[in-house]
Amino acid sequence: MKKIVDIFLSLKLTVVLLALSMVLVFAGTLAQVDKGIWTVVDQYFRCIIAWIDLPVFFPRMWDIPNIRIPFPGGYLIGWLLVINLITVHWASFKVQVNGGRRIAGLLMLLLGVVVTLGVMFGWGAASVAATESDAFWRVFLRLGRGSLAAVVFYIACVLLYRKRAGMVLLHGGILFLMVGEFMTAMFAVEARMTIKEGETVNYIDHSQQLEIAFTEVSNPDHDTVTVLPQRSLKEGAVIASEQLPFDVKINRYYVNSNRPQPLDSVPDRARSLYPKYEGYGSRLYVAEQSEVSGATGAMNAPSVDVELFDRTSGASLGRYILSLWFYPNFVQRTWDMPTRIKLAGKEYEVYLRFRREYLTSPSGSPFSIKLLDFVHEKYEGTQMPKDFASQILLVNEGDDIDRELRIWMNNPLRYARRTFYQSGYLPDDSGTVLQVVRNDSWMIPYLACMIVFVGMTAQFLQSLRRYQRSDD
Amino acid sequence: MRKIIINTVVVLFAVWFFQNGVKLPKESADEFQVNAFGHLPVKYQGRKKPIDTLARNFLTVLSNKQSVRVDGEKVSATKWLLDNIAGRPEAMDYQVFRIENMDVLSSLGLEERKRFRYSYREILPKIGALDAASRSAYAKSDKERDLYDKQVMKVANKFYLYQNFMSAFEDPSSMPQDQLLPTAQRYMQLEKYSIPLVIPPNAGSSKWRPLMSALLANHPAMQTMGHVGAPDPMAVNFGVMLAAYREGRVELFNDTLYEYGALVQAENPAVFEKLSFETFYNRFGAFMKSAQLYLLVFVISCFGWLARKRGPISAALALMICAFIPHTFAIIARCFLSGYPPVTNLYSSAIFIGWASVLAGIVLEAVYRKADGMGNLVGGIAGFVTLLIAHFLAGDGDTMEQMRAVLDTRFWLATHVITVTLGYMATFVAGTIGVFYIAAGLLTRRVDEATNANMVRMMYGTVCFALLLSFVGTVLGGLWADDSWGRFWGWDPKENGALLIVIWNAILLHARYGKMVGNRGFAVMAVAGNIVTAWSWFGVNQLSVGLHSYGFTQSATFWLLVFVITQLAVIFAGLLPSKVWKSGQEG
Repeated sequence: MKKIVDIFLSLKLTVVLLALSMVLVFAGTLAQVDKGIWTVVDQYFRCIIAWIDLPVFFPRMWDIPNIRIPFPGGYLIGWLLVINLITVHWASFKVQVNGGRRIAGLLMLLLGVVVTLGVMFGWGAASVAATESDAFWRVFLRLGRGSLAAVVFYIACVLLYRKRAGMVLLHGGILFLMVGEFMTAMFAVEARMTIKEGETVNYIDHSQQLEIAFTEVSNPDHDTVTVLPQRSLKEGAVIASEQLPFDVKINRYYVNSNRPQPLDSVPDRARSLYPKYEGYGSRLYVAEQSEVSGATGAMNAPSVDVELFDRTSGASLGRYILSLWFYPNFVQRTWDMPTRIKLAGKEYEVYLRFRREYLTSPSGSPFSIKLLDFVHEKYEGTQMPKDFASQILLVNEGDDIDRELRIWMNNPLRYARRTFYQSGYLPDDSGTVLQVVRNDSWMIPYLACMIVFVGMTAQFLQSLRRYQRSDD
Repeated sequence: MRKIIINTVVVLFAVWFFQNGVKLPKESADEFQVNAFGHLPVKYQGRKKPIDTLARNFLTVLSNKQSVRVDGEKVSATKWLLDNIAGRPEAMDYQVFRIENMDVLSSLGLEERKRFRYSYREILPKIGALDAASRSAYAKSDKERDLYDKQVMKVANKFYLYQNFMSAFEDPSSMPQDQLLPTAQRYMQLEKYSIPLVIPPNAGSSKWRPLMSALLANHPAMQTMGHVGAPDPMAVNFGVMLAAYREGRVELFNDTLYEYGALVQAENPAVFEKLSFETFYNRFGAFMKSAQLYLLVFVISCFGWLARKRGPISAALALMICAFIPHTFAIIARCFLSGYPPVTNLYSSAIFIGWASVLAGIVLEAVYRKADGMGNLVGGIAGFVTLLIAHFLAGDGDTMEQMRAVLDTRFWLATHVITVTLGYMATFVAGTIGVFYIAAGLLTRRVDEATNANMVRMMYGTVCFALLLSFVGTVLGGLWADDSWGRFWGWDPKENGALLIVIWNAILLHARYGKMVGNRGFAVMAVAGNIVTAWSWFGVNQLSVGLHSYGFTQSATFWLLVFVITQLAVIFAGLLPSKVWKSGQEG
C-alpha cells in the first residue's frame, strides 16, 4: 500500500503521465487526417484505453499494416493525473497556520466556493441573453467574474499556505478545469436547428444521435409518430414496437453512406450486389462508404437497411434503405424524401433522422423560434463570408416571452440553459442553421482560466523576486 | 565617450540603411507619371488598396518578387502592371511566370533557365497543353494528385489569374455590336471570380466595379438598350488613360490621370484615405531590412560573446534596437492599414514572433545584468529567421487579407492569438538558448560555471513565461470556441498543437522541480520544445484540418522536416557524455 502511495506521491509519475498524454494528443491529432473528429474523440480521448492506429504516424502513401496499439486513454491519464495531483498536494502542502488565521482562511475558501457556484449558475445573467453590443464586454465581464473568484481563492490560499499559495491555487485551477472538461464530456449535448425564412420551428436535431421515425398520416385529424431510438438500431436486431403493426428488422447499419445516385448510373457489378429494395432503394443507389475525414469538416451520413415483417405470419413486407440523405435537415433542405409505406390500411412516412427533441424552457412550457430574416454579407468582389446573422422571434407563451432577437457570428443567444449559435445557412441564403448546445458547466473554463492565471503569476513573480534577491 | 561615438555610428548606419529605396523613383514632368498611377485606389480580395500594393502582390504571386528585371534594369511592379493592363506590346515579354518544376517545364516544351521565369509570350503557344494537364489534375481527388499534378495546377492557376486580371482591364468601348452579348456574358462570369475592382463607388453606382464592366455599360449600344445607368465618367477617364499609355502619349496620359484623380477626389474623397501611407509602407520594406540587420547583430554578438568583449555586444544591442524600431513601426502600420490586430495569418504570426523574440532579447539584456550578450544572440537569430520565414510566406499575395466570418472577431484576435503567439515565442526563445548552451558547451570553453548558471536561469525563466502565456492563450482559444460554437475544447488539431506546447513546458518545470534533470538535461528538453512548437505552428497546418488551418504550403513540410532534423541533431549532441564537452573541462 505504501508503495502505491509513494508512486502517486512522486513527480516522476506526473512527468510520465504528461509525456503519455502528449503521445496520445499527438496521435489523436494525426488520426484526424483519416477519421471524423468525433470518432477520434471517442477512440482516443474519451475512453479508458485508447487504441492507436499505427498508420497515423506515417505518410499515407506508405503501406503500413493497420495495427491497433492499446494505450492509456484520455480518461485514464486524466484521472491518474488528478489522483497524483491531489496526493502530492495533500502530502507536501500542509496547511501551515493555526488559530484565527486558519479560520479566516477557511472562511475565505468557503466564500470562494460560494462565488464560484454563483458565477457558474448564472448569477448576474439574464434569462434571455442575446448580445446587443460587442463580444468584447461580454467576455470581459465573464473573465472579470472569474477573476473575482480567483482573487478570493488566492486570499484564502495566502492565509492557509503562505508562500505556497500560488502553487496550490494554480493546481487547484487545473483540477477544476479537468473536472469541468470531464463534465462536459459526460453531459454536454450538441444539436442543430434548421429554419427557413418565415418558418417557425419548435424542435432541435441532436447531431450525434439518430432515430427512425414512423409517422402515421392516414388519420386526417392528427399524425401518430413512433420512434425507434439509436440504441435499438443494431445490425440483426428485430424491433417489435407495440405502436407498429409490423416488426422491423435492421439488416445493416452503415456509419457513412454515399450520396444517393440513380441506380442505372452505377456499374453493373455494384448493381448486381445491391439488395432488392422497395421505395427509394428501387431507384437510387445508397451503399456503405468509408468515414469522412475530420479534415474536411464534413459529416458522416449513416444509412440503415431495414426489412419489415408481418407479425403473425412472419412474411417479409418489403426491404427498404433508409438514409440520412433523405432527411431534409441533413441536406440543407435541398430535398425532402420521406419513405412512404402503405401497410394494413395505414400509411406511414418514414425517416432516418437526427434524434428530435422538442424545445421546452426550465419551467416546462414549450417554446419556438421563428426566423424573420437571414442576412449573409460577403466582402465586396469576393465570395468570402463577412457576416452571418439571423433575426429571430422567440416565443414562449407559458413564460410570457415574445421577443425579437438577433443571433450572429460569435454572438449567440443564451436561453433555457441552451445556447443558440449562428452556424450555417441554407442554399441561396433562404434560411439559417443554428448550433444548439446545452452544457451546464460552460462557465468552468472561464473560472479555471483566471484561477490558474492568478496562481501562476503569483508563483512566478515570487520566484522572480527570489532570484533578484539572490542576484544582489 | 567611446561608447557614445560607437552608438552614434550605429544609429547613423541604421538610418542610412533604412532610407534606401524609400524615396519614390525619379520622374520628370515629361514622363509617364507612374508613381501617381500607383497611388490610385483599387479594391481586390475585399480590401481597398493602392494600385502599387496590387501590383506588388500580383507580381509576388506570379514570380515571387516585387519587381521585374529587364536587361539588368529594375522595373517597378506598378510600371509592369501598367504596361500589361494598358496592353503595351512589350508587356508580353516580361519574364514573370515562375515555373520551377522540371516535369512541368518539359511537358510544356520550355527549356530550363536560370531563375525559372518565363514570359507570357513563351507560354501562350503551350496553353493547350497546360489546360489539358491542369484539367486532368483537377479531375483527380486530392489524395490521387501527385507532385506534378499540384505543380501543374499551380502554374495554370497563375496563368488563369493573369488572364482574369487582364480581362478586368479590357476596354470593350469600340466592340462591334454583335459581340456585345457574349462579352457581357463573359464579364458576368468573370465578376464571380476575385478580380480587381478599380472604379470606386460614385454617383452612378454604390459599389466598386471592375473597369471592363463599367466600360461595357458605357458602350453606345448598351446605352440605347437602357437599364445600365448613365455613362460613368470615371470609367471613361480610366479607359482613355490606359489607351494613352498604350499609344505612348505622355501628355494625354498625365492629364487624364490627374483628371481621374480629381474626379474621384470630388465624388468620393474617402477612398484615398490611407493610400499614400500604404505605398510608403510598401517602399519602406521594413521587415526585410530589419532581417538583414538582425543577422548582423547575431554575427557581431557571436564574436563578442565568444571573445568575452563588451564593446561588440553593446554595439550589437544598439543595432538591434535600431532595427527593432522600424520593425515595430511596420507592425503598427499593418494594424492601421488592415484594421485588424497584429496577428491574423501565418505571415503576420511569423513577423510578430520575430518582433516579440527581439523584444525578449532586449529585455533580457536590459533587465538581467548577467545576460552577457545572450539576449542579442537570441533576438538576432530569432528575428532574422522568423522574418525570413515571413518573406517566404508572403508568396500567396496580399498579406493583409480580410478575415473569414468565423475568425473575424477582433477581440479574440487581440487576446487569444496574441497570447498564444507569445507563448510560441517564449518557447522558441528558451529553445534557442538551449541550442547555444549545447553548441557552445560542446565546441568551446566559453560555458564556465557562472555562464552555465546564468544560461540555465534564463532558460528557466523563459520556460515559466512560456507556460503562463501558452496556457492562458490556449484556454482563451477554448473560450473563443465556446463563445462561437459552444465547444470549449473540441480536440481540433490547432488546439491540440497549442496543448502540446503547454504540456511540454509543464513537463520541463516538473522535471526540474522533481530534480529529474540537471542543467544539461534541461537545455536538451528546451531544444525539444522547439520541435513541439514548430510542429504546432506549421505542422498542424499541413494536416489541412479544421477552421484554423489558414496556411498550406507544400514546401513548408520539407522545411519543417529539415528544422526537426537539425534540432534532433542538437539534442543528440546535448546527450553526448560530458567528457567530450569542451566546456567544464580542466585546463
